[in-house]
Amino acid sequence: MATARKSRGESRILRYLILGTWALVCLLPILWFLSIGFRPRTEVITPEPIYWPTFSLDAWRLLLSDWPIAKYLLNSVLAVGGSVVISLILGIPAAYALSRYEFRWREDIGFYILSTRMMAPAIVAVPIFFLFRSMGLLDTIWALMLIYAAVNLSLVIWIIRSYMLDIPKELEDAARTDGASDLRILWEIIIPACLPGIITAAVIAAIFAINEFLFTLLIASTANAYTMSVALANFTGGSDGIIYNAIALVSFIAFVPILILVILIQKHLSRGLTMGAVKG
Amino acid sequence: MRTDAPSVPAGGVASATPDRSGNPPRRRSPALRKAFPYLLLAPAMIYLLAITLYPGLFAIYQSLFVVKFLNWTWTGLGNYSQILQDREFWAALGNTALIGGISLTLQTAIALTLAYFAYRDPLIRGWRIIFLMPMLFMPSAVAFIWKLAFNDGRVISDLLMSVGLVDGNVDWLASVWLARMTLIVADVWQWTPFLFIIFVAALQGQDQEIEEAARLDGASWPEIFWNISLPMMRPVIVVAVTLRGIDITTMFTNVFVMTQGTPGGATETMSYFIYRQGFRMFNFGYASAASVLMLILTIIIAQTVVKRAFHSGKK
Repeated sequence: MATARKSRGESRILRYLILGTWALVCLLPILWFLSIGFRPRTEVITPEPIYWPTFSLDAWRLLLSDWPIAKYLLNSVLAVGGSVVISLILGIPAAYALSRYEFRWREDIGFYILSTRMMAPAIVAVPIFFLFRSMGLLDTIWALMLIYAAVNLSLVIWIIRSYMLDIPKELEDAARTDGASDLRILWEIIIPACLPGIITAAVIAAIFAINEFLFTLLIASTANAYTMSVALANFTGGSDGIIYNAIALVSFIAFVPILILVILIQKHLSRGLTMGAVKG
Repeated sequence: MRTDAPSVPAGGVASATPDRSGNPPRRRSPALRKAFPYLLLAPAMIYLLAITLYPGLFAIYQSLFVVKFLNWTWTGLGNYSQILQDREFWAALGNTALIGGISLTLQTAIALTLAYFAYRDPLIRGWRIIFLMPMLFMPSAVAFIWKLAFNDGRVISDLLMSVGLVDGNVDWLASVWLARMTLIVADVWQWTPFLFIIFVAALQGQDQEIEEAARLDGASWPEIFWNISLPMMRPVIVVAVTLRGIDITTMFTNVFVMTQGTPGGATETMSYFIYRQGFRMFNFGYASAASVLMLILTIIIAQTVVKRAFHSGKK
């Protein structure tokens, strides 16, 4: 009895030691990076690191005066928002077909869709670059919208498909005997019933799109199409070196909305991240 | 189109049979019925084919040429024979496997350990939010965090010095293994949460009664985890690790921001190799040949590992 309690107490200490350590591993770099965003440039790169810097809004002023940060933010929002809409419009009917109909090659088509997620951006980077160049879309947010939608389509389809599979068949059978068409059933029954799945898919697609780097790097060459993610890599303003405090601020500006979105879909996160394969 | 679809759902057998409820049967030709799911899929399929099949074919075609800006000179399989003898190509392949393999092993082990300790903890919601945070930063931001911490800001060296592990400043980009380690640290820091979230959800979703029963039989928590929970969550682990593994093989951003492949190509990954050949040296034909080889590898991996992983995950 006594020993059992003792070992349980020890294991709790061990547990909090391990979890606490990892929490520090997660939080300390973030807090330190936040402090980078609010210190003067002279205290960022120094022979001896400065842990208790003077507070300064230099980076904030620099961002507002020298960099079209609002434009980058707007580009991100438009390209990401547009891409999510495109992938939902294309993805919902596809998910419906995969989850509700028996037809030839269904498994193969489903797997092909899944496998497009496996393709490294670098593999298609050169052809996509030439494709957009020939269409005159380089350095536009239209190109970003199209490419983000393509990158995310497989995940959107698989997540929504997984949620649609959970909807009991009886629900639509009743409507079908009442003579509703398949498209009306999709619109009026299936979509409302799997709304959590659609929202999860949209949020995860948005996060992946905000993060996308390689395609954006190749497509965007001026402020015309720079997004937050790639703009970071360009705060390396020539003779000034890398402007870390501005980078830190921009990182946090992008971090906050993502954190809020993720908290909203917390319960569905693991299912979304595994493209519906794991029901959390 | 042949007509041997195994079983068409409600109402599919068709127009001839009157509807159960006595409503007028929906007038729709059997051909349209049969085509309907394909029509629903068509827009998405066309879109996906446009960004996978078209670039694939384009890459194969372009890989047969030496491309210097607008000049395409036919070279047949020249790029391929050259690339297979290119030590940088093999190094990039090796680096991707090595850095990716170590990184994936570490984050799987850490995520499993954390999930084991966290999933029964009353504070699990709090832990989850905290552990999730690194993943919510843009990858380019994370790359800059670690670039500053390791190289430019010397914070890591300073901390290691203060506990006496090193004396003097460490030049992380000077040594092959130190440079690789910085990439591994950045990847593990950012992506352990991905696996952690999935593992915790899987553990929480397991049948509590089995645990209770084992507990009553006198099994300890580590025993339960090792003998019951872990085998039960195997399909989940396989899916999660496969997805993460695939993303790791495409590693680009950290290399681009942190090391640019230095020292001497020791941190150059496949993605960075293709980028450098194509967009730094403008050897587009050569880059395309590398893309085609990587595509073949991807297809092999997808057909074997991924297909199996997702079948076991569906249970």
